[in-house]
Amino acid sequence: MKIKITAAILMSMLFTISCTDLSEDLYDKVEDGNFGNTSKEVDALVGGAYSSLRGFADGISNNYPTCEYVFFLNETVSDEATIPTRGSNWYDGGQYQDAQTHHWKADNRMILSAWRYNYTGIAKINSIIYQIDKSSLSDTSKAPIYAELKALRAYYYYNLLDLFGNVPIVTDFEDTSLPSNSTRKQVYDFVEKELTDAIPHLNANVVYSKMTKNVAYSLLARLYLNSEAFIGTARWQDCLDMCQKISGYSLAPDFFANFATENQKSPEIIFAIPYDSKAGTVGNYMNSMSCHYLHKLTVSATADYPWSANGMCAQPGVYSAFADTDKRKKCMVAGDQINLATGQVIIMDNGEKLTYTEHVNSVTDAKENEGVRLGKYEMKEGETWERDHDLVVIRYAEILMMQAECYVRLGSPDLAKPFLQQVTSRAGAELPATIDLHFIDQELLREFTFEGRRRTDNIRFGTFFLPWWEKGDTEKYRAIFPIPSTVLSTNANLKQNPGYPVN
Amino acid sequence: MNSKNKKIVLHQMWTTKTAVFMIFMLFLSAGMFAQDKKQISGTVYDNTGTVLPGASVIEVGTKNATTTDFDGKFTLTVAVGGSIEVSFIGSATQKVQITSASKNIDVRMQNDGYQLAEVQVVAVGYGTQKKSDLTGAISTVKADDLVKGTISSTEQVLQGKVAGLNVIRPSGDPAAGSTLRLRGGTSLTASNNPLIVVDGIAGVDINIVQPSDIKTVDVLKDASATAIYGSRGANGVIIITTKSGTKGVSVTYSGLSSIGYVNDNLDLLSANQWRNYVRQTGNKDAIDYGANTDWQKAIEQTAISQSHTLTINSGKADSGFRTSLSYLNNEGVIKNSGLERLSGNINAYQYLGDNKDVKFDMGLFANIDKWHPIDYRIFEYAYNLNPTIPVYTPSGEFSSVALNQYFNPVELLTNRTVDNERHRLLGYFKTEVKFLNDFLAVANISLEHNAVKGGTYKPSYAVLEGATEGGYAQRTYAEYTNAQGELYVNYNKVIDKHTISALGGYSYLENIYEGFGAQRSGFVTDAFSYNNLGAGYKYRLGDVYSYKGKSNLVSFYARANYSYDGKYLLTATVRRDGSSRFGENNKWGTFPSASVAWKISNEGFMDSTKGWLDNLKLRVGYGVTGNQDGIGEYKSLSILGVGNDSYYDPVTGTWSLAYSPQQNPNPDLKWESTKQLNIGFDFTLFNRISGSFEWYSKNTEDLLYTYEVPQPPYLVGTMLANVGEMSNKGVELTLNADIIKGEKFNWNANLTLGHNVQKIEKLSNPTYKTDVIYSGSLHGLAGMSGQYSQIIAEGYPVGTFWGFKNAGLDSTGKIQYYNAAGTIVPESALVDADKTDLGNIQPDLTLGIGMNFSYGNFDLGFSGYGMFGQKALNATNMMLNDPNRLPAYNVPDDFLGSGITSAPKYSDYWIEDASFFRLQTLTVGYTLPLNLKDSKLRLYLMGENLFVVTSYKGVDPEIGLNAQNGVNGVIDQTGLASPGIDRYNNYPRPTTISVGLNFTLNK
Repeated sequence: MKIKITAAILMSMLFTISCTDLSEDLYDKVEDGNFGNTSKEVDALVGGAYSSLRGFADGISNNYPTCEYVFFLNETVSDEATIPTRGSNWYDGGQYQDAQTHHWKADNRMILSAWRYNYTGIAKINSIIYQIDKSSLSDTSKAPIYAELKALRAYYYYNLLDLFGNVPIVTDFEDTSLPSNSTRKQVYDFVEKELTDAIPHLNANVVYSKMTKNVAYSLLARLYLNSEAFIGTARWQDCLDMCQKISGYSLAPDFFANFATENQKSPEIIFAIPYDSKAGTVGNYMNSMSCHYLHKLTVSATADYPWSANGMCAQPGVYSAFADTDKRKKCMVAGDQINLATGQVIIMDNGEKLTYTEHVNSVTDAKENEGVRLGKYEMKEGETWERDHDLVVIRYAEILMMQAECYVRLGSPDLAKPFLQQVTSRAGAELPATIDLHFIDQELLREFTFEGRRRTDNIRFGTFFLPWWEKGDTEKYRAIFPIPSTVLSTNANLKQNPGYPVN
Repeated sequence: MNSKNKKIVLHQMWTTKTAVFMIFMLFLSAGMFAQDKKQISGTVYDNTGTVLPGASVIEVGTKNATTTDFDGKFTLTVAVGGSIEVSFIGSATQKVQITSASKNIDVRMQNDGYQLAEVQVVAVGYGTQKKSDLTGAISTVKADDLVKGTISSTEQVLQGKVAGLNVIRPSGDPAAGSTLRLRGGTSLTASNNPLIVVDGIAGVDINIVQPSDIKTVDVLKDASATAIYGSRGANGVIIITTKSGTKGVSVTYSGLSSIGYVNDNLDLLSANQWRNYVRQTGNKDAIDYGANTDWQKAIEQTAISQSHTLTINSGKADSGFRTSLSYLNNEGVIKNSGLERLSGNINAYQYLGDNKDVKFDMGLFANIDKWHPIDYRIFEYAYNLNPTIPVYTPSGEFSSVALNQYFNPVELLTNRTVDNERHRLLGYFKTEVKFLNDFLAVANISLEHNAVKGGTYKPSYAVLEGATEGGYAQRTYAEYTNAQGELYVNYNKVIDKHTISALGGYSYLENIYEGFGAQRSGFVTDAFSYNNLGAGYKYRLGDVYSYKGKSNLVSFYARANYSYDGKYLLTATVRRDGSSRFGENNKWGTFPSASVAWKISNEGFMDSTKGWLDNLKLRVGYGVTGNQDGIGEYKSLSILGVGNDSYYDPVTGTWSLAYSPQQNPNPDLKWESTKQLNIGFDFTLFNRISGSFEWYSKNTEDLLYTYEVPQPPYLVGTMLANVGEMSNKGVELTLNADIIKGEKFNWNANLTLGHNVQKIEKLSNPTYKTDVIYSGSLHGLAGMSGQYSQIIAEGYPVGTFWGFKNAGLDSTGKIQYYNAAGTIVPESALVDADKTDLGNIQPDLTLGIGMNFSYGNFDLGFSGYGMFGQKALNATNMMLNDPNRLPAYNVPDDFLGSGITSAPKYSDYWIEDASFFRLQTLTVGYTLPLNLKDSKLRLYLMGENLFVVTSYKGVDPEIGLNAQNGVNGVIDQTGLASPGIDRYNNYPRPTTISVGLNFTLNK
């Protein structure tokens, strides 16, 4: 009997440890609502809005957007770059060929990537605003935080306005109802208002990589410059006015200082997305998306440089658009590629020499070595996939070029000259006697080659709709992209952009 | 260049149907033996050889019985060809076949002998039942019938042994685990592995138990059987009962030594074939590096493996003790791969009280695995590299002439150190108390601990990664602990013809997982390997991490059994599970089941069939079970965490970490629930053939998947949610036959057949709308970024290949296609609407077969398994048959004659029938008649994977269900496995020849 009693006691001990509590204990995460009450915590939240600018890779569509899919999209549909299929490489379902020939469809992954990059940033900022709403900070301390976040969000909406036009405007994190389209005009007005409202609260100083007054002015200037293309109303004078509010910047004497590993030192950069190998930031390796697999031997005799994927190159005609004396021509890598270890031209696995040619056979069938490559950002021995140079978004040269263009468009090309002079003289190029829009267009190509903004210029100048290499006439509706097919299929409230098939 | 191997091409005439028919006939023939009556006499001894009075002797299937007298003797008149059964308390029942030659029969009772199906006890979860009283679908495999051989993952012992249970080994890598799939699986995202229960402890790692320690495995298949495990029962439950001390004293040694080799490589161009090609095409640029290298052979080796197990057993009437220690060193056929395991097991029990009222039972299992994970990119490199490139330079260094896309795989295998070690521990303490005559209370506490530590070093001279990093070192540690407490009470009562039993219980499970890791690069010297991370001068913000999480599961459960007159049986169960993982709105789930059985053969009107039909039982069961594996911790909450979200502070010039929302919260998150109806028959014919037939239909609702959700409004593009519906319907047949059971010659056979049809029924609900999920990612293959080969869509099973249908080559060697209208068109004319169903990875039929023969001291046995009707995408072949490759890269022999001129494009041109039959083991043994008393020595020779019958052209038709981490380190991140895709990731399965020895010393 004693045994039974002992056993019964042992068993009942089990009940003393038992319970029915099912709450989740968090150890390495915090539940929302418990965060954002100290200035350090607020910094960590707002920091997330900036880190979202780098985007992310999730295998669905976003392969490091700033150097891959979103960048690819803007470049391959423009007249400056292409991703030809080389053998079987870079076929990828024809998405780059479709972009080159302006026959893209709504299921193109680059388009989905562009959509998701911007809306993920927007959703993240909405969630940070929601955290700040719940925080115990005073309303006065909240005001500049809201302004900074909303201006950053306006940057994403500006991208959407440019890329897709009629997009839904979503500002409330808690509202998960499926939104419907706004018109392109509504999105335009929203971007303008958000930036204008934010400006009084933004930092007036030059602060590298942060959303300051100067950055907001620059974005408004871009908005007004493209106003005619976006909503059919030209606002050249508004653009000029906005440019003239920008202060504290100057052209870097060396053009390539803007693209050097330590480019945060350039006095020219108004807005950039910072990257740092020690901070583990991946996704700024566009040279590696362009150069040949063996290109590393031209950077390091011991091949101490990351792999390259032999993808994007310049469209034929871009390289020869530069005078040989133009210092900016070096933003492209051309000709024989020398193996630093041997001093000889690199031999590819098929036995041929690695010589980058301006000629590209076709977008569907290019040879391994065809096309001149992107070399704008510095390539340094010992670099890793996490590069140190920052991705330049807005630099002072653009402010100068915007003013020059506006004066030309307003019929005062002579007033454009002082601005153009600064840009061309740094490049070692001559300013022609007569300044016209064609010259502005070509100068934009040379100054901003591979900076991910050529598509917008092509559309503004109308060249987008004319034939170029491997492309015929383009229908007007393709000035904006279709809403991605998976977005449409998961949200019945959205309507496809005009001109594109509904499914 | 590759000599034609032992792979036999499956001819079309040799269809599945004829094979199955022939096997079936073989089983039927077992019953065709005539019956006569004769008188026999004999003596019954106990295990030590002492005569045993009072043992009962009964003619099987009759009421004809007697008991042994004081001298252990008995006399009985029985049918020739029938059998007698001798039973005694404390001993396993013995069965003796009666032949015309039988006269004086000596029966020695064994501790652990053959048990008749009629008295076989089956673990049903929180207790046992007699097999004859079961109402659910449960298959039992005894120790003798488990697969033997060089086994490094315990799942393998069940390969082909249970109808409806597929054991999928993705490769021949000894360090690769196996995947279990019962009745097609039920989930898109979640684990489809059955719940593993070891000695009553649910949810443990099956590899804690070594094959030699297993006594029986009971596989609970239908919902009426598994509903007692509630939210974890949907994929079936595998209950492993381990051996414990049996009466007597014995010491056993078993050892195995084997050599393994690769039987089947891809037929690629040899260096001379490559040179011929270059000469014939007159290519002047082609580079001949001068060597003759078979890159596949260069990464392979002959694997020498061994295993040793020592067991000590000691048992008395009221206590038992058993301990075992084993060592396994299983080398892989790829250099530097393998698995080394040391494991131990102790079990002891003690009864107390006059009537054995209280039992204390404890067990401890522990093992240590060591292995060196290899980089699977070696296969892609080996297939692609130019065969004239040497492995080594003349000065003995690794050649690295091709730095382009493919690197020297031997260098990749050699110039890096990866040491992983896993420790597993399971301990339990069980107390059983009988009270008030009819009650038995059981309390059980247990702890499972599983820890993996890893160390990686890529030296500064390693071509891939190491060189650019200047030496790279990493340490990782991860562990989890499952602590469980369980208390349940059983009640049993027999009143006349009514038998009633009931069970009620409570259990609490707490799972804690945690880990940390660190990495650095930039080492001045390679001398430290991964042992001095601090010496690395290059580091990044994300180089250190740690994590921790916890979940708990609280359950209440009950079961009632009722039977009337041994003919009508009824079982009902219910379990209520609460899990911390579930969303706020769905914390508790209830899982009920009910089943009935009718022993038709016990009815009076069946008397006329007694001569041949010994047992016939009909079972019908229905239940609801769950699967909560796919949820993971904290998935329902809105949480902030530190990702890799660093941000720059321009004022200080430093970087800090941002806190960001991590996921779309889903407060409705809950288990997947599976409703299953099962109808089954159990039968015994001619006292020789027993078997069961099952028909089932299961429907899984609230399928968990990381569905794509629209952005905006959602934070991230995907969300874990319960949306879809999937069905699996099928039939299973299990047959066991003692075809010949004589004094000298014995022949028995077992056969399992399974057929399952899977279909996605729904993918949308009012909140989430999904037309199709693209899966089977081809991302990472050249030119296939973002491309998918499969769809998950309503009306189709998981793993449906979806793409263009080929119409062969045109006159220029370009693959042409059928469009939607059925017209032949070139590639350029294809549109998305031309894509169609190209077959799927689901087999129509799975088969397992085994036979054992013994003659005197000789024994012979084989077992094999097969799957038929499934398709596989031979993406390796698709990528290698590329006209752009030569002369830079290698191609298959076939390519030169194929005339293909089009670049790789996914279509059914590359989809093959992957049906196969594999001879898993073939064993010949001889038991030495030793003069030592009661001792046994058996020597055997075993061949594993001696041949595969298939028409599949790749390395192996048996392709894993889960995608390996893709080539170039790209991981399929869509959350879905990419089943049935052969993409450079087939670690070859070795053919193994072993010699083994078993030695038992009894006292």
